[in-house]
Amino acid sequence: MTEICENLGNLRIIFVMTHLHWLQRLPTWVALIISAALLLLGWHLLAELGGYDSFILPGPLPVYRQFLIVAGDGRLLHHTMVTVSQVIPGLFIGCLIAMPLGYLLAKSPLAERLISPYLIASQAIPVIAVAPLLTIWIQSTYWSRVWVAVLVVFFPILINIITGLRSVPAELYELMHSLQATPWQIFRQLEIPAALPIILAGLKVGATLSVIGALVGEFVQPKSQGLGFLLISARYQFKTDLVFVVLFALAAVALTMYGLVVLLERRLLRWQTVSR
Amino acid sequence: MKVLHRFGGALLLVVLVMGLTACGSNNASDPTADDLLPILLPVGFVPDPQFAPLYVAIERGYYREEGLAVELDYGFETDGVALVGAGRRSFAVVSGEQVVMARAQGIPVVYILQWYQEFPVAIVSKTSAGINSPQDLAGRRVGLPGFFGASYVGYAGLLFANGLALEDPINEEIGFTQVEALRTDRVEAAVVYISNEPLQLRALGEELNVLRVADYTRLIANGVITSEEIIANDPDLAARFVRATLRGIADTLADPRAAFEISRNFVEALSDDRYPVLEASLPLWDADILGLTNPGGWAETQDTLLQIGFIDAPLDNINTAYTNRFVEQNQPNR
Repeated sequence: MTEICENLGNLRIIFVMTHLHWLQRLPTWVALIISAALLLLGWHLLAELGGYDSFILPGPLPVYRQFLIVAGDGRLLHHTMVTVSQVIPGLFIGCLIAMPLGYLLAKSPLAERLISPYLIASQAIPVIAVAPLLTIWIQSTYWSRVWVAVLVVFFPILINIITGLRSVPAELYELMHSLQATPWQIFRQLEIPAALPIILAGLKVGATLSVIGALVGEFVQPKSQGLGFLLISARYQFKTDLVFVVLFALAAVALTMYGLVVLLERRLLRWQTVSR
Repeated sequence: MKVLHRFGGALLLVVLVMGLTACGSNNASDPTADDLLPILLPVGFVPDPQFAPLYVAIERGYYREEGLAVELDYGFETDGVALVGAGRRSFAVVSGEQVVMARAQGIPVVYILQWYQEFPVAIVSKTSAGINSPQDLAGRRVGLPGFFGASYVGYAGLLFANGLALEDPINEEIGFTQVEALRTDRVEAAVVYISNEPLQLRALGEELNVLRVADYTRLIANGVITSEEIIANDPDLAARFVRATLRGIADTLADPRAAFEISRNFVEALSDDRYPVLEASLPLWDADILGLTNPGGWAETQDTLLQIGFIDAPLDNINTAYTNRFVEQNQPNR
């Protein structure tokens, strides 16, 4: 009996592995389409068979119809571009501040002891509590939103910069010193290339977080522009299908930002095989 | 001797039990906590003396007498509408335009008690700005919290009622910084909550012109909603809730100072300088028939929302959005 069960189990494994092997040979784009189609089908079935009211869980078709409306009248593109115009500077400024500070903290134990406790404590403060203060301190609505994004992306990028710089093996420093390398040469030809993979990993995280940061800024100061305002407006009018459209738009922005960092990673790390 | 001790102990136990039982319930009509139907009532965002009628009704046991254990749930208005529509809450306190927008999206909520008889929004300006009528708003810088919410609907309603378009004034979103924006002349007029910002500005020595939305429109303001299901299947529950709430409103109107004192039990660190907020709210609530809603106001509210674009089409029948049946049958003695 035990032997029969074992054999059945093995047959099951072989059957699954055969099909998994077949799936693994599919091009990525085909696999994505299949998975997306399955998700849409599951969503449709859940909305239809689950007995949910449309204002609780609209199905994919109502959401698509709403998408056609807001895309057709230009609102979706307009509000998306407003949000993107805050996301990109937020990410850029966050990196600009994180990089030199990260280098300082990585290289100077004294600086780390003095500054790190405050940086870590600052992460306990929720951005949603700081955002209204920023709108008072910074008269410009646009820049107050950008700085909310900066606050969100800064810390993860900083941590990755520190980790990346500290991951450079000591032997390589010894090698550079033995070759009489200057500090600038060590920085440019050793530290940056060695730390770049980890730094770019942090940038990927920051890229998606910057979208959240811009959204928080728009929640605090809607100013009738941006995907955050569109989300608030949709909620106020109980248009849950429009809420879903906005969520998909935000996901698209985040994926695009992530994809841009991946392209940057491939460009900067051409000399290195990036393991999957 | 042992028998006597045991008898005495048993007697003492019986006396104790009888005593505790007697203390626990001294009124046959006073329901115990287990008999009360728990009601979690979504209201505004934070505890505030403007909710004094509800505090009074809770504190004086009016809900309890109706078999209800009411607890206030502070949060977003839109959440209250959705929760009632989904059957997860029995009642909520929301503004009238929310009901029209909700029903436009198929959410089955019905307005059963108009707490605020007048829309509590106004456009306020310094007297030096010379904005004495709605027509004077054309071409002037007007600050408003945002292009959504009851304040925006009230502002639009006032403009439309006076033949103006939303684009006639120069509108600027200023969030909830109306007091600062007016004091620093960043804007010439601001859309405010009538029992809040004008009081603050006058306390700072400003002389004001106040254009009340209620003087020009009959927009439906804050009130109590329930679901179509409760009206159809448990109208007695709606009647009981309305009856107790109307008593709370009546008591507050009769003795606002007492209502304010009761509010201290619900609003943390409530200072006396908040009493004028309650005082300014009283005229908004008072009416010959408390809680009665005006059918004409619903049509006007719907028209305003259509013009703004918050609804795409009029409801099939606006009269299904409200009912006066419960308030008419449950008026308190005044």
